[in-house]
Amino acid sequence: MKRSIAAVLGATAAISLVLAGCSSGDDDEGSAGGPQTLTLAGWSFATTPEFKTLADGFHATHPDVTVELKEYDAANYDTQMVADLAAGKAPDIYAQKTLKNFYTYQNGKQLVDVSDVAAALGDKVGGIANYQADGKTWAIPYRQDSWVLYYNKALFAKAGVKPPDGTWTWDDYATASKALTAKLGGPKGDYEHIWQSTVQGFALAQTSGASIESGNFAYLKPYYDRALDLQNSGAQVKFGDATTNNLTYQAQFGKQQAAMMVMGSWYVATLLKQQASGDADKFDWGFAPAPQLDKSTTGTSATPITFGDPTGLGINPKIGKGKEATAKAFLQYAAGPDGAKALAGIGITPADTDAVKDTFFQLQGVPQDDLSKFAFTAHDTKPENPVSKYTAALQNILSDLHTAVMSGSKDVNTAITEAQNRAKNEVLNK
Amino acid sequence: MTLLEAPPLDSRVSLDPPRARRKSRYRFLGYAALIVAAAAILLPFYWMVMSSLKANNDVYTIPVQWLPDPVVWRNYLDIWQKSDLTTWLRNTLILSVAVTFLQVLTGSFAAYGFAKVRFPGRNVLFLAYIGTLAVPWQSYMIPQFILFSKLHLSDTLWSIIALQAFGAFGVFLMKQYYETIPDELLDAARIDGMSEYGIYRRIMLPLSVPALASLSLLTLVTTWNDYMGPLIYLRSRDLWTIQIGLKTFVNTYNAEYALIMTGSVLSVLPIAVIFLLGQRYFVEGIASTGLKG
Amino acid sequence: MTSLPLARRRRGRQVLRNTAVGWSFLLPNFVGFAVLTLVPVGLLFYYAFTTWNVFGGAEWTGLANVRQMLHDASFRTALVNTLYYTVFHIPLTLVAALALALLLNRRLRGVAFFRTVAFFPYITSIVALAQVWNMLFSPGYGPINAFLRGVGVANPPGWTTSADWSMPAVIVVGTWREMGYYMLLFLAGLQTIPAQLYEAAKVDGANAWQRFRAVTLPGLRPTTFFVVVMLTIGSFRVFDLILVMTNGGPGQSTLVLSQYIYQKGFVENQFGYASAISIALFLICFVITIVQFVINRRGSDS
Repeated sequence: MKRSIAAVLGATAAISLVLAGCSSGDDDEGSAGGPQTLTLAGWSFATTPEFKTLADGFHATHPDVTVELKEYDAANYDTQMVADLAAGKAPDIYAQKTLKNFYTYQNGKQLVDVSDVAAALGDKVGGIANYQADGKTWAIPYRQDSWVLYYNKALFAKAGVKPPDGTWTWDDYATASKALTAKLGGPKGDYEHIWQSTVQGFALAQTSGASIESGNFAYLKPYYDRALDLQNSGAQVKFGDATTNNLTYQAQFGKQQAAMMVMGSWYVATLLKQQASGDADKFDWGFAPAPQLDKSTTGTSATPITFGDPTGLGINPKIGKGKEATAKAFLQYAAGPDGAKALAGIGITPADTDAVKDTFFQLQGVPQDDLSKFAFTAHDTKPENPVSKYTAALQNILSDLHTAVMSGSKDVNTAITEAQNRAKNEVLNK
Repeated sequence: MTLLEAPPLDSRVSLDPPRARRKSRYRFLGYAALIVAAAAILLPFYWMVMSSLKANNDVYTIPVQWLPDPVVWRNYLDIWQKSDLTTWLRNTLILSVAVTFLQVLTGSFAAYGFAKVRFPGRNVLFLAYIGTLAVPWQSYMIPQFILFSKLHLSDTLWSIIALQAFGAFGVFLMKQYYETIPDELLDAARIDGMSEYGIYRRIMLPLSVPALASLSLLTLVTTWNDYMGPLIYLRSRDLWTIQIGLKTFVNTYNAEYALIMTGSVLSVLPIAVIFLLGQRYFVEGIASTGLKG
Repeated sequence: MTSLPLARRRRGRQVLRNTAVGWSFLLPNFVGFAVLTLVPVGLLFYYAFTTWNVFGGAEWTGLANVRQMLHDASFRTALVNTLYYTVFHIPLTLVAALALALLLNRRLRGVAFFRTVAFFPYITSIVALAQVWNMLFSPGYGPINAFLRGVGVANPPGWTTSADWSMPAVIVVGTWREMGYYMLLFLAGLQTIPAQLYEAAKVDGANAWQRFRAVTLPGLRPTTFFVVVMLTIGSFRVFDLILVMTNGGPGQSTLVLSQYIYQKGFVENQFGYASAISIALFLICFVITIVQFVINRRGSDS
């Protein structure tokens, strides 16, 4: 009996020793000059090779700098990053995974001013304006995805429906989808993934005067009416069935369950990989500019309007003073032409697409038609999450609107009115 | 009526013929009900096992495929190569055993203090214990993380042990159980000159085997299935537990559903085996130690 | 005359000794608990009155967060949804768990297997479980609606994809998942009831129902109390089940408080406000728990 108490006390003492004992501080190493190590946060390294590509590429040009990668959970990246930053143990450089959370980091003073890097890069880098606040630049985009329309050339040929030619509006898209569904008798005309951006991203980007921060969401209505019509006519899988059956867009398009799909440009690399590994069927495909609101922005002489958030790199203010310059050099490399080429070589859409067109289209399996090349380079890409202190809260409200409308729980007008009231009462006039 | 019948701890019931026949009919109905219920309860697990035997793209289909065709046994080989399942299982096992041991030990110890020793401030303190249970972890996760980081606990297995081992749950559970043990028994021991520690060790512990077994199992399962704790605290790959490993596996191979289900099945099996082996302890306690009420 | 202060002094010494002994029992657990849980939780009570953003900046704003809460329609929705879940989930789970425990506390062939089966939903990964249930509930293709259509229900509910039916669907799954967990506690509780009491009741001619009322239920009182308190707290804090099944949707139909706290904190970076909501949730839970304590004490005294 006495022994068990002793054991308990012993264990407690041991734990408290562990708690108190190893409290040696970890000092910043690395003064200017000499070998340096930068730490870089990323996610899912097995399937997201871009971080390693950038780290290796930078090491090749700066042999005395090693970039060490720190892996975070893809789905909980921001939760983990917020915790690490709050505890002061985050890596030197960390990616801004979504634009939605940029305000949190910027406003929380967790980013170093990198205006000098931005000035050196000039205006060739797409999406840089999204990271500007208070007259300064706080992160540098290294990739800029844009949403395009993927289509299955084989299924179009089988159905005898005219494939996209760059002149499509959303009405053309809907007509084609219904025709495909009727003729194919099995695969659907299109697949619309369950994300709110598949509807709202386009509505926000393409409607002139539309803004999330205005609290006026009437611009969403035509886009929802069309999505609901496609879903009710059976030309696309219903939202409820897609959510309850956990449908993946990769399988829906890759396994030829749908002939068309709007999706971000990141899917090019995924599809190439899945076709090579056998996870996707082997079929002839291409991508076209996303369908437009009206004819004014269609055709290869105009610039199609689409949306997409950049992915940027920011510097942790806790970085040692001696390493800050090196970290800025890394950012400049990642967003500059060398980084862009390296990224395009693995199928990533860098922030500067024009410079890397040739590299990108040399990849094994990339469609070679002119429309795909046009779609890759020509786009006016608006942000899905325009940066403001209200964005995250308003996007949550719009997400509720999306699930309510698409599941048929509320009609479009009611849902929009409710969302506007919530935006006014809970966010804008708080 | 079968549902409500008291536990027949004395199995030698009178055996006059008509009652026996009625009893066997009830028994049959009871079994039928049990089997139906068991089938319903096992359905998701059945789906998990079947999915783990499917080719990857047959997992999520419309309509649902209830039988794998063809049966793919390869998944059970592939998963060991594609993931660090061995490391994950080992870490999870270490954590679960350590947490369970500490939780049961300190929990039952503290519960004795709360249940059987009268001292001022006892009830207030106990309420503080229960109170913390009512605060959602997400809300104090960050302050706790900062604290743990200051103590250099984060990114070590110790963090999860510290996080889980001193919870209020075990104290509360054991206290409730100890309160059913009559004070007279303790007073008799005290008069015999036994110290409080002796009473805890010689009387309370042997009498509370079912509760200790329940607490052990529940703590084990909670630690085993914990996701958010390891997610926040364990960043190094070689420290990952089964839940965080599986989830990352899901994110990495987000299209490899069959393999994900294989991993899920393998993550459940150890617990199921432990339960099956240990389940008799939950129903053998006071009745078998012969305490007079 | 002199015996009175002596007795008091002796009692005083006794109290002191008891306190020392009591604390010696608590200490191993309490040290860990106080440092690792009580301190961070205590901080929340401060953050709840600030505009804390986790990166250090916490500006004192007094009752501003409370005022915001009072005017926040989403908070009200989350609160109502949480109550909705709680009110149904507690009694359903309680009854199911107790029934299972009584059924499986017997010497049946294969009872070990059935006990394990009953516990299975609790140990099965919540992701797999949400997946399966969502497919079962799938409005267009799921077996549940196929069955309903088969028996002549023209418009079966949309379950997790319908604002009216998503909460019932979540309650069903929540109950189904947790009943094995609480069954285990009831099984342990049943062992504390001396067999002699049942024999005595039988001798008095009590039937099974009367024995259940007069022996089983009173004997299970401490266990039941524990189960009810844990169920209450668990229901108010329900989080991961909702997250994986409906993520609060469609619309806000299954938005619950702990999810709202996560949203406000980690997504919108309003940790101060999130802390205030946590305190509100804590207070609600705490008041209910104290009421349960009082009722329990009154019951056990009588």
